[in-house]
Amino acid sequence: MTERLERLINLVIALRETRRPMPAEQIRQRVAGYGQPDADAFRRMFERDKADLRDLGVPIETTPLDRWDDRQGYRIDPRRYDLPPMHLEPDELGALALALQATGMVDEAGTGLLKLRVDAGDPAVGPAAPDPGLGIALDAPYRDVLVAAQLSRTAVRFSYRAADQPLDREPAVRTVDPHALVHRRGRWYLVGRDHNRDERRAFRLDRIDGKVRTVGDPGSFAAPDDDAGVDDVVPGKPGDAPATAEVLASPEVAWQVARRARGGGLAADGGWTRFTVSAGDPNAFALWALEFGPELEVVGPPELRTAVVARLRGLVEGAT
Amino acid sequence: MSRPAPTLARLERILTMVPWLLTNPGVSVEEVGERFGVSREELADDLDILGYCGLPGYGGGDLVEAWLVGDRVTVRMADFFSRPLRLSLREAVTMLLAARALGSVEGLADSDALRRAVDKLQALLGGDGARVAVDLSAPGDELLGVLRRAVEDGEVVRLVYRSASKAQTTERNVEPWAVVGSGGSWYLQGWCRLATAPRDFRLDRIRSLEPTGERVTSQRDAGTPPVYQPSPDDVEVVLDLAPSAAWVAEWLVIDEVGTHNGVRRVRLRTANLDWVARLVVRLGGAASVVTPAALTNRAVKLATATLRRYQRSGNGK
Repeated sequence: MTERLERLINLVIALRETRRPMPAEQIRQRVAGYGQPDADAFRRMFERDKADLRDLGVPIETTPLDRWDDRQGYRIDPRRYDLPPMHLEPDELGALALALQATGMVDEAGTGLLKLRVDAGDPAVGPAAPDPGLGIALDAPYRDVLVAAQLSRTAVRFSYRAADQPLDREPAVRTVDPHALVHRRGRWYLVGRDHNRDERRAFRLDRIDGKVRTVGDPGSFAAPDDDAGVDDVVPGKPGDAPATAEVLASPEVAWQVARRARGGGLAADGGWTRFTVSAGDPNAFALWALEFGPELEVVGPPELRTAVVARLRGLVEGAT
Repeated sequence: MSRPAPTLARLERILTMVPWLLTNPGVSVEEVGERFGVSREELADDLDILGYCGLPGYGGGDLVEAWLVGDRVTVRMADFFSRPLRLSLREAVTMLLAARALGSVEGLADSDALRRAVDKLQALLGGDGARVAVDLSAPGDELLGVLRRAVEDGEVVRLVYRSASKAQTTERNVEPWAVVGSGGSWYLQGWCRLATAPRDFRLDRIRSLEPTGERVTSQRDAGTPPVYQPSPDDVEVVLDLAPSAAWVAEWLVIDEVGTHNGVRRVRLRTANLDWVARLVVRLGGAASVVTPAALTNRAVKLATATLRRYQRSGNGK
């Protein structure tokens, strides 16, 4: 594919250096590699090249030829092509290299890192160790389209399958102003204003079904003024729950409970320890408490204790 | 998004390499190879192609001059490529994400350097920058710093560990290979000298930890999948999940999800029934065991023992 590579480089140079936007016909006549006799074949070739270059981040603009001629032409603004001076320090480049290694994203952003190294003057810093002994599972689907929409403040639309939705029902279509992407407790969320409900919601990215499309014009909503609200809509932030519960833990598990309680603990009968732990979400609390089996007892508040006992009874009685 | 096709990947490389070659005339093939990961043949090809590129007209003075003479590389007349191509959105966002992740937990990396790098990437993205928050904090993460050092130094650690499946606390020496964050928890992967097998240890179940001064002798199994490896001895388990327990299907490694009489039915394989029994107890009546009967027995036994604790203390209603 040497021919195509050459043609792409020549197109980038021609569009970057042209004083006036180049109409397609001029590209066909003047840029090496595009001299197709067949107009349709040229069109297809040019469209594909343009799409691929844009995908790499080459900023090919479509604009009227000039003030008096509204036919469309193409150009690349050098100011938008050139990487601005970034001046990353060696320790910053090293940390980024480790971050890409640890998250398994070298394939997707390795070239980007190389650009930053060239910008820094000497890309001599070799690639990070192939196995840094650190692995972080971070796969965020749709991140490009969602971040692009957030930056340009464009609404997005997608099909979404709620957790409790029967499998045979079609997922609902949601339209959302994207405010932020949040990763917490091993999950990715889009936080934004849901148009139908007119309030801020969190959507799990792994429950989005099919494509995410942008709808309407850029700048269609105001950027949220702060990050407030993210904690309200994304569940599972450790230690922020206002409600608490009293539990007794056996010597076997007291240390583990102490971590959740973040310290302390009063001695109780039989070598057990009494702790106060956070219990924001009753459901999550019961799941946590029952993980310890007979090594932990929920003392109060009564509604949490009753909920735990009810689960145990439900199981024992359901099985008989 | 997938990797660019080979032609495009090569184009990216050329566009990144030329700015450096312009400012470093006469560098050696080896130096270029080290920095950009190209072989001599690939580099010779790239330079050959560049020699056919230039300004429309393509006469003398329009074309890029690119030579490989002996061991030396020179590129000239390519001022239009004096800067690398701006980072694509994908590249910038991916780096931002990775940096945010690593910087969200103390002890993993130079968090000050990461913070400075993130600021520079955000400035490049413009506006208020991309709002991306990554929180990898999870119980037990205070051990990350010590474990990272043990992994880096190749030093065996002694763990007091409470196993999830057996509800037992044991002491063991572990050769640490890696720390892995996955699904909202942190794990230590390594060779367990007690089990004489590779094992994963969830950090919040590590009661205490001390370096032993001994060296790691085992090699990390390449591509060890974290957390769960299926084995032919695994038992098949079938559970029916009420809507309130449907989330379980997304947390487990499930072979099959279907519906049965309008209820979500999942099928999974496990090496350890105790662990699933514990899960069934935690879910209360919201999960019911279809097979095997042994699982039902264990779950009921565990629930009964737990219930006894409540009854003994008086008000186990």
